Amino acid sequence: MNIGLDEVLHVAKLAELAVQESEFRRLVEQMNRIVNYVATLDEVPGDRIAEPFLAGPQSVKLREDVEAAVPLARPPAAMAPEFADGFFLVPRHGAMEDQ
Amino acid sequence: MSGAATARETGARLAKAQPLNAVLHWSQELLDAEGARVDAMPAGSSLAAMPVALKDNIVTVEQPTTCGSRILEGYVSPYNATVVERLRAAGAMIAAKTNLDEFAMGSSTEHSAFGRVKHPLDPSRVPGGSSGGSAALVAAGVVPAALGSETGGSVRQPASFCGVVGVKPSYGRVSRYGLVAFGSSLDCVSVFGRTVDDAARVLSTISGSDPLDATTVDRAPMRVPKALPDLRGLTVGVPKEYFPADLDAGVSTALRRTTEQIQGLGGEVRLVSLPNSAYAVPTYYIIAPAEAAANLARYDGVRYGKRRIGPEGDIRSLYRTTRGEGFGEEVRRRILVGTYVLSAGYYDAYYKKAQQVRALIADDFRKVFDSGIDLLLTPTTPTPAFKAGEKTEDPVAMYLADVFVCPMSLAGLPAMSLPVGRSEGLPIGAQLVAPHFGEELLLAAAQVLERTMDPLAEVR
Repeated sequence: MNIGLDEVLHVAKLAELAVQESEFRRLVEQMNRIVNYVATLDEVPGDRIAEPFLAGPQSVKLREDVEAAVPLARPPAAMAPEFADGFFLVPRHGAMEDQ
Repeated sequence: MSGAATARETGARLAKAQPLNAVLHWSQELLDAEGARVDAMPAGSSLAAMPVALKDNIVTVEQPTTCGSRILEGYVSPYNATVVERLRAAGAMIAAKTNLDEFAMGSSTEHSAFGRVKHPLDPSRVPGGSSGGSAALVAAGVVPAALGSETGGSVRQPASFCGVVGVKPSYGRVSRYGLVAFGSSLDCVSVFGRTVDDAARVLSTISGSDPLDATTVDRAPMRVPKALPDLRGLTVGVPKEYFPADLDAGVSTALRRTTEQIQGLGGEVRLVSLPNSAYAVPTYYIIAPAEAAANLARYDGVRYGKRRIGPEGDIRSLYRTTRGEGFGEEVRRRILVGTYVLSAGYYDAYYKKAQQVRALIADDFRKVFDSGIDLLLTPTTPTPAFKAGEKTEDPVAMYLADVFVCPMSLAGLPAMSLPVGRSEGLPIGAQLVAPHFGEELLLAAAQVLERTMDPLAEVR
């Protein structure tokens, strides 16, 4: 498997991550190094299967589905970069892009 | 000793330990307040005036939580993690928030936005990671215990490098409410201790179900184990795949001595096989980045943390610039890998394949424990602590530092590192592994070994 710059930039766009031109070569090299390494799992035949792994207990006890106020030491306005009238403020949406 | 006196002494030790760069936040004022709070509590609290440090991905109301990242610089949580509430209720004092690899992604604590942590015995070396700050503080004698977090060995590996006890509980044993999420099917709050007893007392305090975390198990908290006289009646499995021919000579000798010690204490040692553990690191480096890519999507500059807006001035530019500038290199790399393995066309080849192999790895452990093995013994790490900068250019070389600790994380098992000797002055850890919710036996056996082995003994 060989990942090119176009693919790395496409993935960066999916991940909403700005990437600087100065990083391109290193990122492509390291993505290839990692992806080729994890591809060693191809050595494991597809028909070797075990009971699917379940993270955590199989009988997770759920709490009652009731709304309750979360006690917070400070309000969202204290944490948000911009907040007014009960809303988080963001810049304009701009033009939609093709993914 | 009173809380007030403990606060003063701990503050003095924290100030002296500053060159390690192990601490991101502490103040004498907050420590004194903690001392006064515990002094006002009724006598007899289980952790009376024990100063405990917290990895800075465990949220606290009184101190910032940065996760070692510029993107959360200055962020202060509006609530305490459940583990913090439980420690405080038991009389512990929150001493400091410790340095870590950014968002717990790393094996050396070199990937912190606030500088690397130095190994307490040799500042040119790393303390391991990602919970390197907590490990270094306990090793330097600043605090008797500290919390870290494990996603793929981030407490056991630094515990081994620093020569302290590090315990990862079973997945679901300890609440993660207030632990900043990295890999949700793997993350566990875990414990460092100067001794097995310190670690056991802290783990017992923080364990147990939590209505605020639906992944905690509905069972009683872990009890501090009763002391065992020896290891008679115990069968310890030694998996052959964890002793490769190129294992560091010091690690190999220390583990051989540990095996002999177990036999000398009446335990039976049996060679076993965990064939799929060889695939644990590649499996982990698909599943963990995939989960991280989803979990870290919340850092977008809208609701909290730093905000940067790019030249376009719209919301996409806000997301991309905030995240591109706010996250460090290793985090960005893992988000990219995680997004790649989950993307259309690659999901089956990578993510689905990793889930298949994860099940095989867990099944190996199940079969071994079902065959009459009570505990497993392996090295915690392939080498003692390595030099700073030695592995930063090759991410895969860094990932392989966790080769012996990843499999248990993928299987959700309790495991711990116990210091069992030194090689050329550097600590070596032996790893013990138990079946799910076997923490009490794990810790009881470790106590017997701790009592009878000298962790400072040179093995070469």
